[in-house]
Amino acid sequence: MDKRKLEELIALVEDRDIQELSISGPFTSVRIVRGSAPTPQPVAVERASVAAPAPIESAAAAEETPVVDDRDSGLQPVVSPMVGTFYAASEPGAEAYVRQGDHVSKGQVVCIVEAMKLLNEIESEVGGTVVRVLVDNAQPVEFGQKLFLIQPD
Amino acid sequence: MFEKILVANRGEIALRVMRGCKELGIPTVAVHSEADVEALHVKFADEAVCIGPAPASESYLNTQALLSACEVTGADALHPGYGFLAESADFSEMCDAHEITFIGPSAEMIRRMGDKARARNLMSESGVPIIPGSEAIRDDDSAVGLGDDIGYPLMVKASAGGGGKGMRIVRAREELRENIRIARSEAEAAFGNGELYMEKLLERPRHIEFQILGDQHGTVVHLGERDCSIQRRHQKLIEESPSPAVTPDLRARMGAAAVRGAKQIGYTGAGTIEFLLDDTGHFYFMEMNTRIQVEHPVTELVTGADLIKEQIRAAAGEPLSITQEHLGLRGHAIECRINAEDPDRDFAPSPGDVTEFYAPGGPGIRVDTHVYGGYFIPPYYDSMIAKLLAHGNSREEAISRMRRALDEFVIAGVKTTLPFHAAMMRHEGFLSGRFDTGTVERMQSAA
Repeated sequence: MDKRKLEELIALVEDRDIQELSISGPFTSVRIVRGSAPTPQPVAVERASVAAPAPIESAAAAEETPVVDDRDSGLQPVVSPMVGTFYAASEPGAEAYVRQGDHVSKGQVVCIVEAMKLLNEIESEVGGTVVRVLVDNAQPVEFGQKLFLIQPD
Repeated sequence: MFEKILVANRGEIALRVMRGCKELGIPTVAVHSEADVEALHVKFADEAVCIGPAPASESYLNTQALLSACEVTGADALHPGYGFLAESADFSEMCDAHEITFIGPSAEMIRRMGDKARARNLMSESGVPIIPGSEAIRDDDSAVGLGDDIGYPLMVKASAGGGGKGMRIVRAREELRENIRIARSEAEAAFGNGELYMEKLLERPRHIEFQILGDQHGTVVHLGERDCSIQRRHQKLIEESPSPAVTPDLRARMGAAAVRGAKQIGYTGAGTIEFLLDDTGHFYFMEMNTRIQVEHPVTELVTGADLIKEQIRAAAGEPLSITQEHLGLRGHAIECRINAEDPDRDFAPSPGDVTEFYAPGGPGIRVDTHVYGGYFIPPYYDSMIAKLLAHGNSREEAISRMRRALDEFVIAGVKTTLPFHAAMMRHEGFLSGRFDTGTVERMQSAA
């Protein structure tokens, strides 16, 4: 089950004031239970006979903190244009390019994605504030993986 | 043995390779485009990496992304499947440079066999009969002389071509120059290489190919033939083993020729040597494919061999687990390629939502597919959605099981070629075993 579907289900549970939602498909089951937390906590259960693949990005189900829905709140993601390794700074020991809360301008370098020994500087496509840093230093990332969420000016 | 294998492909072949890896206890990495997020091969693998947007050129053919995916996942070997980069000598070399084992032959071997004109020469030197023909055409004037030597009708073919692409039929001397001009520009456009050679055109030949396996210890074996004559526009539709046209004596001679040719060039891994068989029992080398083929399960069913596991073992430097003496063909196997195409609209592709899917089962039935109920067939890739195979103790039993299985198969929501195959399994020409590479075209123009 991909992250977007999971977020849609969570939104559905919230909008319709549902207490518990269970869905099963050929390879995955999901049960979302509304607890006392402000946002429903999803529990993704994979069927026993098919081992769940471990995508490189952390699955939404594994997060404890509420999912920040970037579509609705107008947040702009910075996505990785390639498969590689995310680095927060230009070299080991250096200051990170950006931190949560920093303001960035359009075209500003926000991180490095290294692929095949080539360091690629990744730029923000908008000016705004860094709301969340979604990946850790030296974490492998895939094509299209969200790295930062920016609140545009 | 390898620590982790990245499968650089999608669809049913990605699943097939992963199944072999799983049986060998080797973890797998799936790569996928954004269009394949819900693909079965992604769910089957131990790890998955998105490598690019939907277009194959930016994902499954993206060598940088594939190598980078090997790097970040720690994969030490890569299986290219068929199609995509399976016969890219450049990519094979890139893998070498990054110390990733490319599960296939060496770049040098791919280049040798990928140059169709050169492959002919190499085989001829090993005493393998080749179709009367020419070397690469140097200029149009000498081509006319070559054409006279070969005799008409003949084919003008692209050296860098293959798989039925980049070929033109010339029926008379007067037509040669014009066809060479056209073929050259087509070849330039399609393969980036306008080099051409010529071959005698065999009328109504059968396409008989031999499966080869070689290891790094010098052993080469053949696993019998597959008759792939049921084709439409040079694309195979139905394959079977053994061929109704191949006697035990012919099998021994063709098999020996195939092994001789493969041994001479030092071939390792899985490969297929394609022959044309004319109606007088003469066979001629056509081309060699240096990869695992779509129709490999046909051979697996009649020999009991597991070609994917043998490929992986051979690439890891292990010896083949089978010897020529112990290889025998048992029973008869047929494969029908099921495509998401509309047979009533000239086989137009029919992607979309598969609303219902039930695959046949029971004795002697094998289904290799990546499709499931609720799956959306993306429009970006080839249209084959399943391989349906039937094995029986005789050709009659295999046909009877295939008929039953085709009737059981439910694929709703998209158009498929199931009805076409059901009709083939009742076609007198097919049932008699007397067919050739022109049969389907003649059948369709008669309809």
